[in-house]
Amino acid sequence: MIFKKEHLLLQKAVRKFAEEEVQPYAAEREKEGAISRDLMEKLAKYKYTSPIVPKEYGGAGADYTSYVIIMEEISKKCASTGTFTTAAASLVSSPLLNFGTEEQKQKYLTRITSGEAIGAFGLTEPGAGSDASGQTTNAVLVGDNYVLNGRKTFITNAPIADFAIVIAVTERGKGVKGTSAFIVDMNLEGVSCGAHEDKMGIRATETSDLIMENVKVPKENILGKEGQGFKIAMHTLDTGRIGVAAQALGVAQGAMDEAVKYSKERVQFGKSLSKFQDIQFKLANMETKICAVRALLYKTAEMKEAGMSITKESAMCKYMAAEVANEVAYDALQIHGGYGFIKDYPIERIYRDARIMSIYEGTSQVQQMVIAGSLLK
Amino acid sequence: MGKQDINKYKNIWVFAEQRHGKLMPVVVELVGEGRKLAKERNVELNAVLLGENIEEMTKELIAYGVQNVYTADHELLKNYTTDGYTKIISEAIHEYKPEIMLIGATHIGRDLAPRIASRVDTGLTADCTKLEIDPEDGKIKQTRPAFGGNIMATIVCPENRPQMSTVRPGVMDKADVDNSRKGNIVPLNFSIKKEDIRTEVLEIVKSDKEIVSLIDANFIISGGLGLQSPDGFDLLKQLAEKLDGVIGSSRAAVDKGWIDHSHQVGQTGVTVKPNIYFACGISGAIQHLAGMNQSDIIIAINKDPNAPIFSVADYGIVGDLFEVVPQIISQLDSVRG
Ligand SMILES: Cc1cc2nc3c(=O)[nH]c(=O)nc-3n(C[C@H](O)[C@H](O)[C@H](O)COP(=O)(O)OP(=O)(O)OC[C@H]3O[C@@H](n4cnc5c(N)ncnc54)[C@H](O)[C@@H]3O)c2cc1C
Ligand SMILES: Cc1cc2nc3c(=O)[nH]c(=O)nc-3n(C[C@H](O)[C@H](O)[C@H](O)COP(=O)(O)OP(=O)(O)OC[C@H]3O[C@@H](n4cnc5c(N)ncnc54)[C@H](O)[C@@H]3O)c2cc1C
Repeated sequence: MIFKKEHLLLQKAVRKFAEEEVQPYAAEREKEGAISRDLMEKLAKYKYTSPIVPKEYGGAGADYTSYVIIMEEISKKCASTGTFTTAAASLVSSPLLNFGTEEQKQKYLTRITSGEAIGAFGLTEPGAGSDASGQTTNAVLVGDNYVLNGRKTFITNAPIADFAIVIAVTERGKGVKGTSAFIVDMNLEGVSCGAHEDKMGIRATETSDLIMENVKVPKENILGKEGQGFKIAMHTLDTGRIGVAAQALGVAQGAMDEAVKYSKERVQFGKSLSKFQDIQFKLANMETKICAVRALLYKTAEMKEAGMSITKESAMCKYMAAEVANEVAYDALQIHGGYGFIKDYPIERIYRDARIMSIYEGTSQVQQMVIAGSLLK
Repeated sequence: MGKQDINKYKNIWVFAEQRHGKLMPVVVELVGEGRKLAKERNVELNAVLLGENIEEMTKELIAYGVQNVYTADHELLKNYTTDGYTKIISEAIHEYKPEIMLIGATHIGRDLAPRIASRVDTGLTADCTKLEIDPEDGKIKQTRPAFGGNIMATIVCPENRPQMSTVRPGVMDKADVDNSRKGNIVPLNFSIKKEDIRTEVLEIVKSDKEIVSLIDANFIISGGLGLQSPDGFDLLKQLAEKLDGVIGSSRAAVDKGWIDHSHQVGQTGVTVKPNIYFACGISGAIQHLAGMNQSDIIIAINKDPNAPIFSVADYGIVGDLFEVVPQIISQLDSVRG
């Protein structure tokens, strides 16, 4: 891809933002297990959390390429901030944008874009992960309300969210066709959160269970129609995957940058590490993989922008980017030697952060299933 | 083992374990089982009771259906010691030659039984869950779980006497009480000196039962988020006390801070395999099931008929646990009289 001028300008701006606002506090943020409100507000203000939302709903009204640029640059410096950004930019915005009524968009989407509200997306359950069709959370229409009961697990932002988009079963026995999506206000009676999970990586994002006990959700808060829940979730994840792929690309690039820098500084056997052919070849290998991911990802963003179906492509992006992020982070840490194993160097955090990329928003195996499914149909 | 003349051995004995002057509940189970076996063999059921000031307990044993209570009443026998008890019971065995000797598989029983068996040169089967008389030769077939319950081994002791078993508490039926029963008290001829006992009991500390031993528990009463608040565990404790059980919990209740992590059952908690597992207000997430689905019997109480817990439950009650559990408690009270 050859960037247009507007994309180059955006890239420059986000890069500066990431260097000044995101990077300096990444280690501290991880220790605190949270992202500061100040940073959240800035992300919203610059519309990094709403790149693809049209201007009329307070978003940036930009294209998917811009979204990928933002995700890549931010995640390069802090993967947790990347997760926070993509949760708002696609997991929460995209279902509202694509399936919400005008009223719902005004009430919920505009508050996400302005940063007044934080959203969450609740699909996964203790018994339903890769097999998202095994939902047990249920919603029963009683008078003017749907009464929701159930438990969602691993929900990004749940502890700090103002509302969540939740998938629940409205008609048992109909499988995925019996599910619906709801906008659930987090301060409704009966909504609570589990403990903040003690995670290996992206420790500054807050992840917990979301528990609903006889929660009365007004009828008008159903998103789309009854029975559309699974469709909405899958459609959302299609776009979400571009975001996570871009995040993984940023993580890989961040690791790469650290490796290059360190290899030039560190001297052994009278030379810098970068003078050893093995190290050079390692770096060449890493760089090539990263550039291949970048090419596929930006092409997919353009396809999406052009209105083409990207189910297979977004799965390939997410799969490849996640695996490459892990491989590159591994090699980059290796280049750091013992110092790489110590928390004083950012590569240690990057290495841990990389691990989630191949798990959430569909594991690498699920992506392979999607790819093979398209290929063999 | 030397050759014995096994025909000289007769009658069934149970070890009447007492602590602080009270018979252990397992003794009543041993007497219940022992009476059945004695009837089949057409022999007497006797008990051996050691302690200090034990008269009340002898009466109790007779009321449960023991014919002869062999007693040793001495201040040195007030508390259990391996040396003291082994010496006296081994001597009694030599003198009276019981054919079968049953001991409860408590911590004391598991310590005592092997010492006696070794001293009187006979076989011992530990932790039996089933005892039967072989109709062919009158020997006792002792069945016990081995390899973590994956194998049930049936063991006989053909040539040596007495045939000794420790019996798992909570498996055998309890003996009924009948105060009109008659029996004899037979004081043992014994001598015991302080030097015979190498251990000295300085103090017996009763723990507040706070050390949770979910793994050893026969009954686990577990609660989840359905308890609504930490107070919910008080209700479960009442049930646990009736059953001499232990309190378990789901992770959700631990995360809420309602109970300590040491109670958590599941993938990241303890894996348990009790006789009965009560799941009260637990949805049955796979991470919870992983820790308890091997329980012998699972009883689920949940108000949601679609809760996944019912897929592993042997008995399921759809209802509000705050109504169901008190009813179980009162039913238990009426059954036990
Ligand atoms: C930090 C974090 C944040 C998250 N945020 C959210 C969120 O905001 N909202 C949300 O809804 N969810 C969220 N998730 C959940 C995430 O999407 C799931 O963890 C993920 O989809 C995998 O599901 P699982 O963990 O149940 O694994 P499982 O589905 O149990 O999979 C276990 C393993 O088996 C493999 N596997 C499963 N099925 C197959 C198959 N058919 N063939 C081959 N291999 C298979 C998987 O690839 C994986 O390797 C988050 C998770 C984490 C850890
Ligand atoms: C990394 C990780 C590790 C985990 N490890 C474990 C583990 O080791 N052990 C574990 O248990 N979980 C574990 N979990 C959590 C697991 O996924 C579930 O979230 C948890 O088991 C749910 O607990 P629960 O059943 O008490 O709560 P819920 O799922 O919220 O269920 C509560 C149930 O109570 C019922 N109920 C409500 N009120 C009443 C009433 N008045 N009467 C009767 N029923 C009522 C409801 O119908 C519901 O079914 C783990 C999760 C993660 C992420």
